[in-house]
Amino acid sequence: MPYVVRRPDRNLWEQSYVPETVRGLAVTLRHFFRNVLGRRDTVTLLYPEQRRPYPPRFRGVHRLTQRDDGAPRCTACMCCQTACPAECIHIVAGEYPADHPLAHVEKYPAEFWIDELRCVSCGLCVEACPCDAIRMDTGLHPRPVEARPHLMYERNLLLSISDTAGSVFTANPRKK
Amino acid sequence: MPKLTIDGREIEVAAGTTVIAAARDLGIEIPHFCWHPELSVAANCRMCLVEIEKQPKLQPSCQLPAADGMVVHTDTPRVREARRAMMEYLLLNHPVDCPICDQAGECKLQDYYQLYDLKASRLWSEEGKVRKRKRTVFGPHVVYDAERCVMCTRCVRFCAEIAKDPVLIEVHRGDHSEIAVAPGRTLDHAYSLMTAHVCPVGALTSRDFRFQCRVWFLSSTPTICPGCATGCNALLDHRRGEAFRLRPRDNPALNRGWLCDDGVLAFRLHNDHRLTTPELGRGEEARPASWDEALAEAAALLGKLPKAQRAAVLSAEHSCEENWALCVFAREALGVERFFVAGRAAGEADELLRHADKNPNRAGVRLMLGAEPEPLEKLVEEATAGSLRGVVALGAAAATTGPAAATGLLRLEALVSLAPRRGPLPEAAHVRLPCPSFAEAAGTYVNARGQPQEFPRAMPPRGEALEVPELLARLARRLDLTLPFRSTADVRAAVMPRLPQPAAGGGAP
Repeated sequence: MPYVVRRPDRNLWEQSYVPETVRGLAVTLRHFFRNVLGRRDTVTLLYPEQRRPYPPRFRGVHRLTQRDDGAPRCTACMCCQTACPAECIHIVAGEYPADHPLAHVEKYPAEFWIDELRCVSCGLCVEACPCDAIRMDTGLHPRPVEARPHLMYERNLLLSISDTAGSVFTANPRKK
Repeated sequence: MPKLTIDGREIEVAAGTTVIAAARDLGIEIPHFCWHPELSVAANCRMCLVEIEKQPKLQPSCQLPAADGMVVHTDTPRVREARRAMMEYLLLNHPVDCPICDQAGECKLQDYYQLYDLKASRLWSEEGKVRKRKRTVFGPHVVYDAERCVMCTRCVRFCAEIAKDPVLIEVHRGDHSEIAVAPGRTLDHAYSLMTAHVCPVGALTSRDFRFQCRVWFLSSTPTICPGCATGCNALLDHRRGEAFRLRPRDNPALNRGWLCDDGVLAFRLHNDHRLTTPELGRGEEARPASWDEALAEAAALLGKLPKAQRAAVLSAEHSCEENWALCVFAREALGVERFFVAGRAAGEADELLRHADKNPNRAGVRLMLGAEPEPLEKLVEEATAGSLRGVVALGAAAATTGPAAATGLLRLEALVSLAPRRGPLPEAAHVRLPCPSFAEAAGTYVNARGQPQEFPRAMPPRGEALEVPELLARLARRLDLTLPFRSTADVRAAVMPRLPQPAAGGGAP
């Protein structure tokens, strides 16, 4: 349906944009002189020397939690691998021998790979885990690397990463 | 013939049919653990209770013969409450170790919990559960977990009734009852893996499949067991080109839902010792080659010999399509008149399923050739004598073994082997050309009873392997001949009329 576009109702002085340009420049200059001469309240940070603290639920690099004896809590149930929409988790299950102290657990991850390049940091693996064995509470970004295979994080590396408080154990002891 | 009504639908069944079987014929699934269509009725799980009009109590439908005029309700509030109560009993002492249980994903306890229960346990503490033996090795193929067992006794009945070896028994009472192996025995009969197959829960699991893969990752393709000449119908479970197990597929006229241990483990023929690139040379001189190089070498080796000194070895391990393609190639491109047959050595047989001939398609080879092929021993003799010098052979296995066979085959001046995996024939060959395993090409086997059974392709050939018809068509072009086929589909069209037609009214599936 056709309709009429009303032209803006401005006089010549406004139409020249000079007063608005000057007013905008004044805001910029006020911030400039205040930050150069007086107190600093810039919003930019000198990353990476300066860092803003992340919120507590920030999903960083994965870690595998340990049992008290250092063995992985993970039982290789593959729930995380199933839940992962990016298919970045690969697990090979192993079986504890009958005389092992953890023989009653029966199953453990002989291999546990996470492709941090494929990971979309959705956190579904953490949600899916029935044993609280995989967490993303490390507060870390994947480290820059020179070759893609270096971002294939392997079982022992994942086990060695701690949470922001430095613990390698579960933060949820109820989930045994 | 009693006529009864189940959930408002009428059905007429043969006298003696149970209500649960009648319901199944109508497509109504009544939940059950202990009932199995091929086993006797135990009626101990009480999951199949249904309401019958004019009967005050709920009745186990697996034990109740259908009667004329019976009106059955399978989904009333009373029935649902009974199922929920049964699930609560069954799960009372269940360890809920689904994360480490191989049955998870195909477990009746999980399925029925989702469908009929969905309540938290009312047991006041985990400590209150009755603890039992876990990870008890029952035999070479089967491991038992007593805590997961629901005591349906399907495995006990399978061993006694189908395998005819009553090696499993029930011991103890009440909460403490469990399955045990008869004293002094292990679960080592030829059908032991079927106890794990009939187990509706994770109590009996396969040691071979244990922790290898979660079942929900697997894809299933119907296939025919390549393990022997019975030709049992099976499902191949596979993932990303790797096979994990064979499961029986019900064929009432043939294997009735069973498979022997060797059959379940026959998937290894697909995984192990695969040949994935063309190779040239024997023994120490063996080296990988490109298809161009290998086909040129094969054509040159076979082409320079006189026709009368060439022969072809068909394979009882391979499908009719592959053997027919080789017959056509050998006759038209090489002028071969002598055909031999190779295959795996004969083994144990029994009354139930296992056939002494451990090759799935010996009858098919005979049909494709139109005559009886000569045994491989004859080829070894003639090769030793020097009257046959060039051979094109299909398949990896050679039933003749021993030094005579080895030296005989090594006397050949040209042996071109088409094989999916390593074995005596490819090892003796000058040129090895990789071809698909039983899971990687569609085909037809003709079993010992003369029943032709088609099966589809489950996955593409591994590595650089080429389907046999395509491979032979390329090789023929090197010999300046165009074969009348280029793909498995072309070959199948030619093979179909040569196969026996299934008898009317059943027989072959």
